[in-house]
Amino acid sequence: MTKQAGRNIKALWLVIIAALTLEGTALVQLHFSQKGIRNEASMRAKVQLTATQNRIMDIVNQTEAAVRNNIWIAQWCMEYPDSMVRVCQRLVADNPVVAGSTVAMVPGYLRHRPLFAPYVFRDASDSLRILSLATPEYDYPNQEWFTEPIKLGDGYWSEPYVDEGGGEMLMTTFSVPIMDAKGKTAAVITADISLEWLTELLGRTRIFPHSYCTMVSRSGEVMLNTAGPETVSMDDDYVFEAVVERTGWKMSITIPKADIFGSLRSIGALVAILQLLGLLMIIYMLRSFIKGQNKFMELDQKQERMEGELHVARGIQMSMVPKVFPAFPERFDLDMAADIVPAKEVGGDLYDFFIRDEKLFFCIGDVSGKGVPASLVMAVTRTSFRNLSAREDSPGRIVTAMNDSLSAMNESSMFVTLFLGVLNLTDGRLRYCNAGHNPPRALTDSIHPLPVEANLPLGIMGGFEFKEQSVDLQYDDALFLYTDGLTEAENAAHEQFGEERMDEVLCVRKSAEGHLENIKQKVSEFVGDAPQSDDLTILFIHYLPATHRLVLHNKIEEIALLPDFIGKTVAASKLNPDCEDSLNLAIEEAVSNVIMYAYPEGTDGIVNLDAAVSEKGVTFTITDTGKAFDPTAKAEVDISAGVDERPIGGLGIHLVRKIMDSVRYERIAGKNILYLTKNY
Amino acid sequence: MEVKIVRENEEVVVSFIGRLDTPASQEIAPQVNELVADAGNTIILDCTELSYISSSGLRIFLTLRKAAAEKGGKVIVRNISNEIRSVFMMTGFLNLFEIQ
Repeated sequence: MTKQAGRNIKALWLVIIAALTLEGTALVQLHFSQKGIRNEASMRAKVQLTATQNRIMDIVNQTEAAVRNNIWIAQWCMEYPDSMVRVCQRLVADNPVVAGSTVAMVPGYLRHRPLFAPYVFRDASDSLRILSLATPEYDYPNQEWFTEPIKLGDGYWSEPYVDEGGGEMLMTTFSVPIMDAKGKTAAVITADISLEWLTELLGRTRIFPHSYCTMVSRSGEVMLNTAGPETVSMDDDYVFEAVVERTGWKMSITIPKADIFGSLRSIGALVAILQLLGLLMIIYMLRSFIKGQNKFMELDQKQERMEGELHVARGIQMSMVPKVFPAFPERFDLDMAADIVPAKEVGGDLYDFFIRDEKLFFCIGDVSGKGVPASLVMAVTRTSFRNLSAREDSPGRIVTAMNDSLSAMNESSMFVTLFLGVLNLTDGRLRYCNAGHNPPRALTDSIHPLPVEANLPLGIMGGFEFKEQSVDLQYDDALFLYTDGLTEAENAAHEQFGEERMDEVLCVRKSAEGHLENIKQKVSEFVGDAPQSDDLTILFIHYLPATHRLVLHNKIEEIALLPDFIGKTVAASKLNPDCEDSLNLAIEEAVSNVIMYAYPEGTDGIVNLDAAVSEKGVTFTITDTGKAFDPTAKAEVDISAGVDERPIGGLGIHLVRKIMDSVRYERIAGKNILYLTKNY
Repeated sequence: MEVKIVRENEEVVVSFIGRLDTPASQEIAPQVNELVADAGNTIILDCTELSYISSSGLRIFLTLRKAAAEKGGKVIVRNISNEIRSVFMMTGFLNLFEIQ
């Protein structure tokens, strides 16, 4: 549970970090987008302002040019005031932008007309009309358009005003003073222009849905405002301004912040929604991942438990086969060793053996398949071997009966390859029956596969008659039984261990246990790190029948018992009776060595002397349980040395070597075993 | 096993009767070791009635032979059977002793 809590906290952190990352990204994006949009808006506003300014300047220039172009005519006909009307008429008629024009004389300039200001203007039907501004009510000499240019001595744009006479239009007047030939200000010439087109022009320049333009005069009076009545100006509105030259009008574009960033806001909202979705998805994925992991863990635990159970099964399975060696410590005629090297998965290899009526019943087998089913079939096979062998001596009949019972209950169509042997320990006769198993190796004078009938594996077909065979084992003959897990053991390069390597290992004469360890080591060296895919099972049986045995105590007087024992052995063999003394000498040397040195002084010890007569010769086996001592390891004595150099000792083992044909020592299970063989 | 020691003039004749196996060698060792004192003279090891000899018996012979070599004496082995001769052969004793 704590593991799970840890995972949950981890997941929570993951979600938080993911959220922060997403949010951070969004903020950065927003910042730069805002900057970009702001720049874009300001650019658009400036472009718009410049364009509008240019349009206005066009009109202003046109107007100024129209007026200035008429100054010289006015100057020229200053002497004839009546012709001023013509000047005005010409100005208005030639310039569509000009709505009205006057040439107003400076009061008192004309002797007989103190005030004179004929005004020409366009009426509603676009025809020109004339009016005199020289009325006491209007009092033109005091109008701004008249006084300012004279004051300035230059052209002057009036403050915009609403023309009350002509249709409530917003107007402005450009006026320029006219000098006479003497440089004296004589009159002021004007051109009125309507600012209606301004309203239209600025109205068109709506660059954002709620943006608006304003035009303010020099004195700050609002000339124009395209803002709708519902527009509310805010403090955070963006305002861009430009001043129109000459007229001094201030133009501005106001863009509400909401308009500029409106799209960004909607995008922002969309991004936020997407982020939320992403976050939810992360949470969902994490949740299902954790769930999956928990499930996986449960499965893992289940599998662990199952593996544990399989190990228990394996333990039970292994406890069924004899595992303690030497299997028959009281017997000297059999040297046996066996082992199953299990693959990771529970397999179906088996071996078993027992002795009944001086007969060794043994078998080795391999159940097809792996796992619990194979292991169960293995257990059944082993039980059936034990049960049937309890009464029956014939391997053929035992195997036939085993096959019948396995076939009868075999619904899973598993089969078993099996080799079953019955070795008569008194005469060495081996009867055996092979049910589709690899033939065992016979280790006699040579190493060769035991000739076997193939027959059938067990469990395939009930009622099959299994053929039995037999062979006579001699003293020192051995059988090596194995399952294909040995020969088919693979290394990383997928090469198999094979029979050749197996035979090579078997060539070296060793005790059963020595063989077992040796072959296991060789296979393990060969296989290396490659995983073991199949059980590897070995059963080694070394036949050492005891024709005679002499049990000696560790007292030197017991040597006196040797001549009689050796005499009998030689008599039972085909050895020349003349060699009895030398044989006795060799055995005495070996045995006295053991009697004197194997056991600590003052303690009792036993030395077994076995003599085995075979068709090849006689083998004496000297066995003791004293301290490890290998007489064959002693250096050879130099028999050609002179008296002075000759050592006193070392003659005993020298004689043994000289007399016997083979001397072999082994230390097995706390025993020193010395094999001494004399061939015929 | 029986050992007879007869001293005549400058010679010591040692007669071995029976089997000179390991226990027998241990038995007669003290007796024979006394003969080291006579190693300056001639020691005759009479094997006429010796039927068997083991390496421990051979060691006794060799001990005397080494003492004689040291003291300038002589060890003569007399009348060995074929079996014992073959043991002498196997151990190179034929080259170490004067055999009569």
